[in-house]
Amino acid sequence: MAAEIKSEIVDINGKSVLLVSVRNGDGIIGTCCAGHIENSASALTRLFYIGNDPIISLIAPNFGNKQSDKLISFCPGFQGYEPKINEAIGIGYKKLNEGESLSSALKDIFGVLQDGVYVAYLSDYYPTDGSGNFFWGAYNISHEIQGTAEHSRVIGNRAYKPCFLIPSQPLDYFQARTKMTTDDSAKTRRVLGIAYHLSGLHSVLLKGHHSAVSCTDRGVPFTCAVIEKITEPYTDLISVKAPVQPVKTAPAEETEEDSENPENIEKQTKAPAPTPEPEEPVPVSEGVTGFRSASVKLPLANIPKEMLKMLIEGRAEYKPRNFNTLIAKLGTMRRKSVSNNVLPFSVLDAADKMPDSEMISSAYAIDSLSDAQLNCLLAGDVECNGEIIVSPNYYSSIVTACNYLQFTDTKRFVDFAIAVMDNSELSAAHEYVARRVMGQDSNKKLLSFFKSVISSGDTKYDKILNDAQTFVDRINNKEK
Amino acid sequence: MAFRDLKSARASDDKRGNTYVFGGVFAVYELSSDVPAVYSWEQVKSAAVMRRDITITAGNRTFTVSNKMFGSEEELLRAIAIIECRQKEFGFGYAHEQRMIPMKLLYEERSMGKNVYKGEGLLDEGDTAAAFIMLLNIKLVKLLWLIAILIALIVMGILHFTIGITRDNFLYFIPISLAAGGITVLLVYIITHAIARARFKSLADGDIASRQPITFVVSHQGFAACESSTYESRDLVPWEVVDYFVESDKMFILYKGKLPLAYIPKKAFEKKMVSGIADIIALHLEQR
Repeated sequence: MAAEIKSEIVDINGKSVLLVSVRNGDGIIGTCCAGHIENSASALTRLFYIGNDPIISLIAPNFGNKQSDKLISFCPGFQGYEPKINEAIGIGYKKLNEGESLSSALKDIFGVLQDGVYVAYLSDYYPTDGSGNFFWGAYNISHEIQGTAEHSRVIGNRAYKPCFLIPSQPLDYFQARTKMTTDDSAKTRRVLGIAYHLSGLHSVLLKGHHSAVSCTDRGVPFTCAVIEKITEPYTDLISVKAPVQPVKTAPAEETEEDSENPENIEKQTKAPAPTPEPEEPVPVSEGVTGFRSASVKLPLANIPKEMLKMLIEGRAEYKPRNFNTLIAKLGTMRRKSVSNNVLPFSVLDAADKMPDSEMISSAYAIDSLSDAQLNCLLAGDVECNGEIIVSPNYYSSIVTACNYLQFTDTKRFVDFAIAVMDNSELSAAHEYVARRVMGQDSNKKLLSFFKSVISSGDTKYDKILNDAQTFVDRINNKEK
Repeated sequence: MAFRDLKSARASDDKRGNTYVFGGVFAVYELSSDVPAVYSWEQVKSAAVMRRDITITAGNRTFTVSNKMFGSEEELLRAIAIIECRQKEFGFGYAHEQRMIPMKLLYEERSMGKNVYKGEGLLDEGDTAAAFIMLLNIKLVKLLWLIAILIALIVMGILHFTIGITRDNFLYFIPISLAAGGITVLLVYIITHAIARARFKSLADGDIASRQPITFVVSHQGFAACESSTYESRDLVPWEVVDYFVESDKMFILYKGKLPLAYIPKKAFEKKMVSGIADIIALHLEQR
């Protein structure tokens, strides 16, 4: 039975969102649960597969806790895309660059996905793993990847756009000759890659690995067509002040004498004034507010009826027909476990300088930070004018503010970082802030601060002394 | 979570015009509203799966879904499986009646390992009732002997006080007393069997799964006794959940505490498999 694909554009708070529903999809690209890994009942394994190949293994620790980062690894046993998949992805990529709309260009790709409702959009990606490593070849060994938790503690309940990548091809497939052709096309193409959102801030790149190399090398934004599956119900909470109750004086027991007694009247007037209850978060409505993917929150009323039915009755993910083949392949070894291919050094260097997952999370968590708010934080307060600046947790506030500034405004970031490191009462944050600021190339203010740290010999700088020395040495070496 | 891939189940209340959906979320389509009320399982406060209906309390509302509202028994069983799995995940209050097969919240998704025995069949009412009665007999046998002796002595006493035992009639009194004891025991036995059978029937009637084909799996990783329409290939009840087992000529009965957790009929498997199954069960559980 042919896949039934319907697309609709809905308006969410003034923004147009493209929704695509897939019914009777081939389900040859998608994710599925592979159960508990051996000898660990608490770790749950999920697979991202393409055709008969398991591509990415995600181990979710803590019984699949959605706030925990995942251990991710590129699966052995990759055989290359099947012709049908290759064709669908190739045609989609071609059509996108011929100017076709997302819904029509990606139609063939939607046909090979699992049933469900998806959202598609264009977005710029950082081709890294979210920790400064170029994405291609960064996942050969299973390790915890920051920013892969479905629910980020920093971002909270807000929507965010995933921006880091996981490859769907092993690094063996990198060819310098192919890169030469993509170097030219990277500047002119409208869309350079196709990505499928996997978890948290990370998506799997289905098409455009060489383009990602070229874009990073040339400093060109890597624009991808992104496909996200909408699966998760969400509930928006609003803060509500509990109504102030009048003081009750037990009227049933009150006698006429009591009410006439001046002592009692005095007692009543002296009764403590009702203290307003603290604000309590309560759901906006009964039940869930809507369904969401990483980047989109769709209130129930805004979802077209047929799609809402699919969201309610459908499954977030399910085992494909070839599940047993995938599981059997999980244990096989790839011909080369580590590739001999080497990416250009300039690409690796550029990736190292790209924003990391902490910066991106902070950028989504904070709308803006005024100087007054920063001063409050430096003074040791988590509130400014009665409002929580970032979080009720002070250390978390400093860290998030620091990362936000690093992403949005380098000058303010350096000023804030120096102020934090210069404040002996914030010594718990010194090491972290110093590590973050080390990434700055050459900043005169920072250099002179670190020089003063080294020369002062003050014990309050103990924690950052090594970092300061490293930074000064690096700048000096560069100047030489 | 076990039974992860189950499709959602629908129930329609034709009188009120409501439709209930049990799946990744619990949703209620009401005639009075264009937008359905959707509850994540986290928002469900309690669920009760009873003989005739399912009651879900979510948010500030309580929904009662009669068994008859489901299109088929398979759909109802799927809804129960979804509720039980979500209960395990989110820990909301759960009330239920005694079951013939293990509840889904006891299952875990795990690899089967080697030496897996699979079979399918109905829980034969006669065989299961016989096993039920056999278990009753084990408990009753001492009591029945006691009753027989007591009745014999009482009858002997009554005869002695009413007629008086003499050398001439002594030999008549002994068989009369023994016969009285025997007849009483037989009556008690028949009554208790009738009660046991009625209890079994009541238990079987209360569990729709008992009328469905059941998939039985026994492996070193655990076992499964689950209606075939719901069963997924990698879900097992770990052996740690079970306390001991009793083997009759027709089935293995697995116990948790004092209550039977699962009846595994031998005839659901090929004959050559039975000894292998017995070995696995005996390796993991104490036999009583």
